[in-house]
Amino acid sequence: MATESSESEEEGKISGGNEKLILDDDLREMGKNAAWSVSSCKPGNGVNTLRDDNLETYWQSDGLQPHLINIQFQKKVRLQLVALYVDFKLDESYTPSKISVRAGDGFHNLKEVKSVELVKPSGWVSVSLSGTDPRETFVNTFMLQIAMLSNHLNGRDTHIRQIKVYGPRPNPIPRQPFQFTSTEFLAYSTLR
Amino acid sequence: MESLLVNSVEKNLTQFMFSNAIFLCERLLADFPSEVNLQLLARCYLSNGQPYSAYYILKGSKTPQSRYLFALSCFKLDLLGEAEAALLSTVEQQVIPGGAAGHYLLGLIYRYAGRKNSSVEQFRIALSCDPLCWEAYAQLCSLGVAEEASTVFGNVAAQRLQKTHVPQRINFSEGETKDQLIDSDKASKDISVWQTEHVPGENQQDLKVKQLGAEIPPDTDNQRNASSHTNGWDLNTPSPVLPQVLDVPPPMLYKNMRRPEVEGLMSVHGEPRKKFVCEEESSEAPEESRRRRSARIAAKRKIPMFHHSPSESNGVPSLSSMIGKCRIQSSKEATTSGQSINDTGSSVDDEQNSNPRGSSLDPFSLMSGISEMLNLLKILGDGHRSLHMYNCQEALLIYQKLSEKQYNTHWVLMQVGKAYVELQDYFSADSVFTLAHQKYPYALEGMDTYSTVLYHLKEEMRLGYLAQELIAIDRLSPESWCASGNYYSLRKDHEAALKMFRRAIQLNERFTYAHTLCGHELAALEDFEDAERCYRKALSIDTRHYNAWYGLGMTYIHQEKFEFAQHQFQLALQINPRSSVIMCYFGIALHESKRNDEALKMMEKAIVADARNPISKYFKANILANLGDYHKALKVLEELKDSAPQESSVHALLGKIYKQVKLYDKAVLNFGIALDLNPSTSDAVKIKACMERLIVPDELETEEDL
Repeated sequence: MATESSESEEEGKISGGNEKLILDDDLREMGKNAAWSVSSCKPGNGVNTLRDDNLETYWQSDGLQPHLINIQFQKKVRLQLVALYVDFKLDESYTPSKISVRAGDGFHNLKEVKSVELVKPSGWVSVSLSGTDPRETFVNTFMLQIAMLSNHLNGRDTHIRQIKVYGPRPNPIPRQPFQFTSTEFLAYSTLR
Repeated sequence: MESLLVNSVEKNLTQFMFSNAIFLCERLLADFPSEVNLQLLARCYLSNGQPYSAYYILKGSKTPQSRYLFALSCFKLDLLGEAEAALLSTVEQQVIPGGAAGHYLLGLIYRYAGRKNSSVEQFRIALSCDPLCWEAYAQLCSLGVAEEASTVFGNVAAQRLQKTHVPQRINFSEGETKDQLIDSDKASKDISVWQTEHVPGENQQDLKVKQLGAEIPPDTDNQRNASSHTNGWDLNTPSPVLPQVLDVPPPMLYKNMRRPEVEGLMSVHGEPRKKFVCEEESSEAPEESRRRRSARIAAKRKIPMFHHSPSESNGVPSLSSMIGKCRIQSSKEATTSGQSINDTGSSVDDEQNSNPRGSSLDPFSLMSGISEMLNLLKILGDGHRSLHMYNCQEALLIYQKLSEKQYNTHWVLMQVGKAYVELQDYFSADSVFTLAHQKYPYALEGMDTYSTVLYHLKEEMRLGYLAQELIAIDRLSPESWCASGNYYSLRKDHEAALKMFRRAIQLNERFTYAHTLCGHELAALEDFEDAERCYRKALSIDTRHYNAWYGLGMTYIHQEKFEFAQHQFQLALQINPRSSVIMCYFGIALHESKRNDEALKMMEKAIVADARNPISKYFKANILANLGDYHKALKVLEELKDSAPQESSVHALLGKIYKQVKLYDKAVLNFGIALDLNPSTSDAVKIKACMERLIVPDELETEEDL
């Protein structure tokens, strides 16, 4: 799991944020194989800014709430974590406050997986998609939708500077049920 | 003025003052335009790294030397067609300019153009022209068509070397007469005869013999007498001399004498001599029979040593002093040839005066020098060839035969390291490479393999440090960037790793390994098409780079194209028939194609090939479990568990199989251990899920009982 500065599990509130994104080794970014779309945007601040690895550029919505970011995959993928870069100090009323993460096969059957409330976040905020049950560590889905339900200070539109979506790494050794853990096995398992 | 300018330019070239040389050469050419001066200017440009300038000025030249330089410039500019045309513009093969160097260059051109057979032919000719053209042999090894080192560096080579080196003697020493030339001929015959006695396996002996020869101190009167006889020997038959020479003083004296000789020898020949000398120093106990030979050799050696020095401008003073010391028999010769006789080293000045460039060389010392050199090359050639045939155990044994000093040179250590890597013995490889890197921090060749070793051992910190060090030493060497790439790859940052490997490729298009590593990174990023392209590029440069075949096979397995995968692994195995890892994956590909018997056989082969490889047993157990043969699978896994108790996947698989055979207690036990051993998150989830499903039937049972 990603580290978070503070989070109270019961209420799902996240305050603060990390300047650097710190992750587990066995996560990998899945956003490249997905089609990204947004519910609305201001010209010049479109969906590309969410994936350009540039924290200066941001996406600005331009319509009614809730603002949506849709991430669609070609096949079912297991996802574990969503990381957003938002900054209250820069964006103030554009900073999202209530966020709902939904998953499903398409627009017709999305179901909420996680709901969090951000409190003056500043930096990378990680939203874990796991449930309490170990069997629910991953969300296995075709589509993920991140909905900005409300903003700080009741702002109408929202700014998001960057988004990353993470899932587990596949087994580097093909067609094997389990991954190797000890150095000896790993050393022998590949040629380089 | 012309000669003044020519001398100045030559001097500048030797002192690496290239811009000055170019300037003076332009003045020279302006006033005295001639082919020779044009060649001189081209040499200046080539030394200064301006092949394009050399190309332009030499375009259209006809003389052999010009054609060679022109071809070299074309080659550096990657204009292979023109380079080839320049070298071949006369029809007769004999007249390829530059001799061995020309053939070697032509071989390289053909190899780069992909014309393997022609290149092999050229390399072979280069070797026959000049047996010391090691690079040609190395190229043949990497093409997989090298002959045995003993034939390449054998008698024929010795004769060739004698032919090229001995006649020069005459030019230098005043006193040297045709007699000595005849001597050398006879001596060469002697040597060839002598050498036929010493068939390849006797390297050590030969060397010891030579040592003895070298050691014979000059100061005994006996030896003086002997020397006159040896003179006679030179002219006639060697045998009469031998009994007298047997009175040679005991070995201990040799040792003392050897040191100065060593110095001189080394200065003359640099590396080959070093080996020569070291071999001497290493074997200390001469035997009767060897003494005879040594006497012969000693006599021979003096002249060859002198002989070689003309070509080496830096070796004269020490050489002559050394030669002075080891001049036993040839004291008489010395007088006749005008060389100073040395008693205990007083001859240095005389020698220097009479032979400013070490002219009069003893043909016998030349012979022994040649044979020592060739023996060294035989060992190195054998080792190199074995390594390229992936016969690694043998290669290691062969390299052990070297003297300690030769063994500890960078090239040999790299070879040894690579041999360990091919045997998957990464710990030994690590120690060898670390030693080499400590001793030779400036030598970057082979550091890419070192970084791979650290990658396999998961030594992130050391790898990072190595990468930084290498880049600090040379930002423009592909090996440094390969090391950085491996570091990022170890940290799973495949994008960054890819960037590094691409930089390495930019620096050297023909760096095969960088292409393969690129392919690995792309495969890790699941971009299999591009990965395939990279692997094929690597293979186009070097078909025998079996890592690329392996990589291709792995991409096909990932894409579930199992037949293609089998084909690639088969090709890889043809090149390296001893790699248990390749056999393992070949087995997997076979199993997935439902050829299960062959798959199991392949796994058996893998287990036999490398008993320390746990993966082959694990895969075998997995295949058996998939086929339903649970008991055998359990047996294999239990063995494996004992030898690798820390591996989570072994326990997880055990748990799974125990569940299949309904031994639920054991299953739960193993799942628990597996979870304790820190599996990856997805595996942990799987294992926990399996465990839950196990507990449920138990609960059902207990409920029923109740």
